[in-house]
Amino acid sequence: MSIKKGKTVNIKWIGVTSVLFGILLVANNSNEILRQAVILPGSVAESAVAADCRPDELVEEDLSLKECELMVSNIQIMLASSPSWFRPITICLYILGLVSALFSLVFGMRFVNSPESARRSLYVSFVLLVGIDLLIFATTSATGPLLRSIYLWPTLIWFFIHLVLLVAVVSYNSESKREVN
Amino acid sequence: MAINVFFLFMSSWWMLALPLPSENFTFRELPFQLHKNIGITIFVIAIYLLAVRVSKIRRNAFKSNIKSERSVEKGHLVLYFLITFCCISGYLSSSYSGWGTTLWWSLDLPLWAEENDSLNILFSDLHLWSCWALLLVIAGHVGVALYHAFRSDLTTDKMYRW
Repeated sequence: MSIKKGKTVNIKWIGVTSVLFGILLVANNSNEILRQAVILPGSVAESAVAADCRPDELVEEDLSLKECELMVSNIQIMLASSPSWFRPITICLYILGLVSALFSLVFGMRFVNSPESARRSLYVSFVLLVGIDLLIFATTSATGPLLRSIYLWPTLIWFFIHLVLLVAVVSYNSESKREVN
Repeated sequence: MAINVFFLFMSSWWMLALPLPSENFTFRELPFQLHKNIGITIFVIAIYLLAVRVSKIRRNAFKSNIKSERSVEKGHLVLYFLITFCCISGYLSSSYSGWGTTLWWSLDLPLWAEENDSLNILFSDLHLWSCWALLLVIAGHVGVALYHAFRSDLTTDKMYRW
């Protein structure tokens, strides 16, 4: 998607979009890690304890009684459909993804003003992110339909975003080499 | 700052789907405390950034006649004002809800307001609508940043000075 003006190639968009998606992915992965830290196996939601839906709380939160009861089911879905290996593996993958996203953010910022010095680091960040997306996709695929319905689609979207940015960095590389030759 | 703001949006949508707090269900404790702590921290940073912007505008008040520069200043002011307002309304809503706040699990903030359901709902609504407005302004801000990036003009270099 390089926009050419005469002989110059516009590559700043790669840096700016890396920063934007880096910010969004760090926030996304932090939220996922928080989710895994809050919804723990062996919690009270796994037993058949009914939801505590006080009328004043329902008014405050603008909820129906049914919605309030289903909030517990929400937790039960996560717990019942997560195999024992799922939680530790996803926490590790999301932490790795968070670190890689931070790298893509930092090197994306640098890429705007100094593409040559940041190109290799940005390339590595996106290779890592594409790899991590694939691993998350594979891990989630091995679970049941309930977890797949939550995780697969967002992971696929992130995979394609990172693939686009990786290809953009690679194509900038070959473009610049061609110009030198 | 941007990461934290987006994290607060995402985590708040998720945590409000957790079971209501009770003796048995305490799922909301950690996310709500974290939400309030990050919010208070963002408030302090936003106040600082707002002060810097205002002093910068005062210094350059009679120098800059370029329309785009004035628009940029106004845009940033609106952004910081909305962030500040979101934080204040959120904190007030929390104060009237009767739930205490422990700043980063180390400092108990004093409960300066009695529990009051109607004020809690009022500030909660203000928090909600100001956050929607903030999201709208952020979308505009990102849109303008991308516009400059795709045009490859000097504004992008100023934004990401390294």
